[in-house]
Amino acid sequence: MLFSEARGRQVVSTATAETVGVVDGFVVDPSTHSVLSLELRKTHGNESSLRWSNIAAFGTDAVTVGDADKLTEPGEDVEALSGKDHRLVGKRVLSSAGDELGEVSDVDFDPSSGAITALLLGEDEVEGARLVGVGSYSVVVKAR
Amino acid sequence: MRASAITKRPVVTMSGEDVAQVKDIVYSAGGGAVGGFTLAGRGLLAGPMDKGLPWSSVKGLGADAVMIADEDAFEPLDQVLHTSSETAGGGAARADVLGSQVLTDDGTDLGEVVDVIVAVTDDGFTHCDVVGYEIEASEALGQQGTKMLLPLPDTLSASGEHLMVPASARDFVRQDLAGFGAAVDDFRNQLGGQR
Repeated sequence: MLFSEARGRQVVSTATAETVGVVDGFVVDPSTHSVLSLELRKTHGNESSLRWSNIAAFGTDAVTVGDADKLTEPGEDVEALSGKDHRLVGKRVLSSAGDELGEVSDVDFDPSSGAITALLLGEDEVEGARLVGVGSYSVVVKAR
Repeated sequence: MRASAITKRPVVTMSGEDVAQVKDIVYSAGGGAVGGFTLAGRGLLAGPMDKGLPWSSVKGLGADAVMIADEDAFEPLDQVLHTSSETAGGGAARADVLGSQVLTDDGTDLGEVVDVIVAVTDDGFTHCDVVGYEIEASEALGQQGTKMLLPLPDTLSASGEHLMVPASARDFVRQDLAGFGAAVDDFRNQLGGQR
């Protein structure tokens, strides 16, 4: 599933069947090549972070969670990987050999595990497992 | 690649931060290899930094960036400059070869150095070799004023004024970087065969 497809998806509580928020962004941990948590908007309270481990299911039409209490404040680890500097989409991509490969246009992930399967660079694709780091200047991927 | 193309290139960590840019190249081994880089801060107003980057800490040197693990790769500038001049055995340790006159050992003036050509050797990124000079050719090369690439032997003698190369280097002069690597290898093999 692509980040662009998943954004805007409703997050629904399985206990109350209420919509508790809408997917707004992704916090990615480059060291594990996977989504650490989701950033939500239109939540009822101030808790707008949803850890991947707290998701019941990432379905084709909605994300389900046990209850609204699964939403939390972003923890320190999430905070450290949040913000513009750590966002993937729109950023230039450098290989670890120092060559520019392009710009991230979208990200493909596995909705069952949260693993990043690929970075889309326009026409090109880089496997998610090659992701090394994401910083203010660029995304770094392992050179082949 | 041309040394002039490396300066101003960003120095980027594996976590994607541009922490500096290359200001100048520091040569070691008497000008025969790249020993490291002096650095400047990023941004228009940033000045030179008091830290340098030794070649041993470089993880990647590509067309668009110099890659390092993290900022621990930096060392005090004096140290980077010092290690290089120690092995140089003279004052020509820094990029002072630019403007030097290239003389063959039979006394022919080949031209003036306008750029330095460096290449990373394949043996696990341990060495960045100076493989040639771009020279503004003299009459001796038959095309005065044009820029040509001159392969260099592994070691050469250099003073501030002159660079001495074997006369046979003339046979391996190339016009552009494509195929220059092979010319360097051929030239060095030929020299090796003579010994």
